[in-house]
Amino acid sequence: MYSSALFGVISRLVPHTEVAEDILQETFIKIWNAADSYDSSKGRLFTWMMNIARNLSIDKVRSKDFRNSEKNQDIDNNVDFIDAQKEITFNADLLGLKDIVDTLKPEYNNVLDMVYFKGYTHVETAEELNLPLGTVKTRLRMAILELRKYFN
Amino acid sequence: MEELKTYIESGILELYVLGQLNAIEQAEVEDMAAKHPEIKQEIEAIEIAMEQYAQKNAVAPNPNIESKILAEISKPSVQDAIPIIPFNYAPYESKIKTLRIALAACAALLVVSGVALYNTHNELGNAKDQIALLSTEKEQYTTTVNYIKQSNADLQKIADMVTNPAWKIVQLAGTKMDPNAKMVVYWDTSKQNVIVDQSKMQLPLNDADHQYQLWALVNGKPVDLGVFDVKADSSQILINMKAIADAQTFAVTLEKRGGSPTPTMTQLIVAGNVSI
Repeated sequence: MYSSALFGVISRLVPHTEVAEDILQETFIKIWNAADSYDSSKGRLFTWMMNIARNLSIDKVRSKDFRNSEKNQDIDNNVDFIDAQKEITFNADLLGLKDIVDTLKPEYNNVLDMVYFKGYTHVETAEELNLPLGTVKTRLRMAILELRKYFN
Repeated sequence: MEELKTYIESGILELYVLGQLNAIEQAEVEDMAAKHPEIKQEIEAIEIAMEQYAQKNAVAPNPNIESKILAEISKPSVQDAIPIIPFNYAPYESKIKTLRIALAACAALLVVSGVALYNTHNELGNAKDQIALLSTEKEQYTTTVNYIKQSNADLQKIADMVTNPAWKIVQLAGTKMDPNAKMVVYWDTSKQNVIVDQSKMQLPLNDADHQYQLWALVNGKPVDLGVFDVKADSSQILINMKAIADAQTFAVTLEKRGGSPTPTMTQLIVAGNVSI
């Protein structure tokens, strides 16, 4: 039941479907093997699973062989790959998202997008956007507050 | 209360839920959440929002994946081989682990290098000792070779003298002072050279204050031919003395170091006439 939600985040972080599927599989194996270490008093199960999936994805994206394979893309794959990078592919599953994103101010959404879907740390985001760390933290909080309002 | 509000508004709880905090900061947040229900509630609200956001972003994976994962999980447990993932496991922890391994490797390398350096140092010391030993031996050989060369040259000269009729060989016999004493003097009558042969000499060793002095008796008058030492370890066989054109007798006296102008007859040790 969680697999689609986890896969949604993994495939945003790792645009290659096959690699993303591998990571999903790895995520479930890790969740399965580490189930004993999950402490329900410290947080929700989904948050725990999501962080495992995110960390595996970020580790993969930052790993050497992944970066090398990025450089060695076939020309045939390139069109799809660039499309995936620019996120202009039509994705029926994301249709409902448009109205959420519209409710978010672009500067809030941008920060949330970088941290949540692009694998930047909040420190890297601050550097990338040339913003003070405090501003990034505030914007992240504001974006999530907007989401909370939306879902309520 | 105000304090809690500031804490919540700082955005740290959002970072906590997104797994952006290090282990210490995480423990701090968990500590705060355990003490203050407001913070726990806030964290949960953030978690639910993120969960719903993820659900909105959900992408259905390939349906085959599910059976693959189930097959993988139902395999014999490999739990021992896989490290336990702590809650909010952060990517830099794997970095720290790598760094720790690197540090251990560096330390091991340092130890190995140290041992290697120590061994090399010892071997260098041994090599130096050997070089010193070899150079001492070489010096000894050189000395021996020089000695042999000198002896050989002298012996060659003696051999030449015997066959050359210009050379007179004069045997000097012991006197009352030391009847066992004897020595040989070679005299080149054409070139007037006088040479004392140490190898055929039997004279007591002289002390530091005295030296033997060779005399030639020319028509009854003693002529000084120079002084020489009798040492236990002399490398020279032949000793060149002063030249003399004419002589009937050669004699040796023991004089004070440096020689005397006239021979001390009581110290006459050997004497011999030139055979004609």
